[in-house]
Amino acid sequence: MNKTVLAAIIVVIAMLGATYLAVGSAGGMGGEGDWVNKLAVLGAVVLVIVTVFVVTKYVRQMQYDKASGKLADENWDGIGEYKNELPFGWAVIFLGLNIWAIWYFLAGYPVNAYSQIGEYNEEVAAHDAKFEEQHAGMDDETLKEMGGSIFIVQCAPCHGLQADGIEGKAANLNVRLEEKTVKHVINNGQGMLGYPAPMPDRNGLFNMNTGALITDAEIDAVAKYVAGGMKGTEGADVFAGTCAACHGVDGKGMEMVAPSVVDYNPTLVADVLKHGKKGAIGSMPAFNNLTEVQVKALGAYVTDLSK
Amino acid sequence: MFHWLEKHPFFFAVAVFVTIAFAGLIEILPNFAQASQPVVGTKPYTTLELAGRHVYIKNSCNACHSQLIRPFKSETDRYGHYSLSGEYAYDRPFLWGSKRTGPDLMRVGNYRTTDWHENHMKDPAGVVPGSIMPAYRWMFKNMADIDTAYAEQVTVNKVFAVPYNAEIPMADGSKETVKLAATLEEAHADALEEAKAIAADMKDQDVKDAVAAGQIPEIVAIIAYLNSLK
Repeated sequence: MNKTVLAAIIVVIAMLGATYLAVGSAGGMGGEGDWVNKLAVLGAVVLVIVTVFVVTKYVRQMQYDKASGKLADENWDGIGEYKNELPFGWAVIFLGLNIWAIWYFLAGYPVNAYSQIGEYNEEVAAHDAKFEEQHAGMDDETLKEMGGSIFIVQCAPCHGLQADGIEGKAANLNVRLEEKTVKHVINNGQGMLGYPAPMPDRNGLFNMNTGALITDAEIDAVAKYVAGGMKGTEGADVFAGTCAACHGVDGKGMEMVAPSVVDYNPTLVADVLKHGKKGAIGSMPAFNNLTEVQVKALGAYVTDLSK
Repeated sequence: MFHWLEKHPFFFAVAVFVTIAFAGLIEILPNFAQASQPVVGTKPYTTLELAGRHVYIKNSCNACHSQLIRPFKSETDRYGHYSLSGEYAYDRPFLWGSKRTGPDLMRVGNYRTTDWHENHMKDPAGVVPGSIMPAYRWMFKNMADIDTAYAEQVTVNKVFAVPYNAEIPMADGSKETVKLAATLEEAHADALEEAKAIAADMKDQDVKDAVAAGQIPEIVAIIAYLNSLK
């Protein structure tokens, strides 16, 4: 027998013996142990046999093989190259790779490419779907609760956690209107809420009762009346003669004409969020980043605050 | 040629480098050039906004505030659309920041107003309970550096061809033009005009007096800058 083959057989036996000594029957060679261990040991055995087989093959090739065949014309410092045929398997793999590359560039990559924005879009779509499903038939209580948490994030930085406007730095949402707000609106008009016609300033406000423009004294009276929740009699006649034409006799506003001045309602809140507001205190930007449901929730929450 | 290259290792190495570099160029450069173009709606800064940007840098606002909204739902819910590279086309240097001690300011102009900034800079905890941001009262006293802002405008216009005095397409299809003053005096006058509009929304009497007297306090400049972040 050839020396190399003999050496190979000895090495295989030695290594298998060493494996047995190392893992013993617990490793699965004796039939015990779990299947993961058995698999690992089987892998090791296969690895040893294959390695030794391949090494033996090439060592023998180096020992005994003689070069034969036709040499190519080219040679590099006396080292030549045989003109061998391309192995069939290689040719098949080469062609297959070409076809795959064409598919990958034209269809595979553009369709399946990873992108950060793609992942973001998926995240948003998944969240929206879950949101829709979770809040399909929301009751008022849940809506208010949701409005409350949106308020903390989006509104509280200006209106305060208590919605009190932080000492006059923003509108106090616990009351519908304050005196100075009413006065400011009467003096300067208002046209930001998206109603077809804006409210005129004091130069366009007639008091039907007197047939003249609204006066300073009347503004004071009606501001107090409106800020006080339209209770009492003082200022009531001014309101009836001047404001009621648009804001309604009861002050609850009219659709497509003017908002309510006695209470908040979801429509009013939605209008302010959509258009923003500029008034006696300062200006509020529009919040168009909120979803429809969020606007509805804020409407429910803010409406509830002043009740 | 390949035989010749195979016999000359140095030139072979050069050829390998050129081949790979070429592949890199055609793969990377076009995409990069496209992404760094200004996004529709991105405008160069006006003189006053740029002066405010200098105040922002001078006070290291970027140490606590980032200007980069990442594409995560939680961030876009709070701050608005995620940032695009083209939106920084006129930022030199960009102010991405690396740490958020305070919130991101990339689009703060969308949800805060002049009067809020005024209250906040005077007493941050007064409007945001629990805020650890310090007050920046000196901004109400120090005057903004309009000269430097104008110098920067002229420089970026000449060196980087930043489109001042040119029509810029906006998101709604309209066109807007950002003016670059012809002289320093004109730049001062324009900045003051802008400052007056902002001071009108402010309450601080000293600031109002200063603007009426033709001066521009830093607070006005930085509010102009913050309002421009959209």
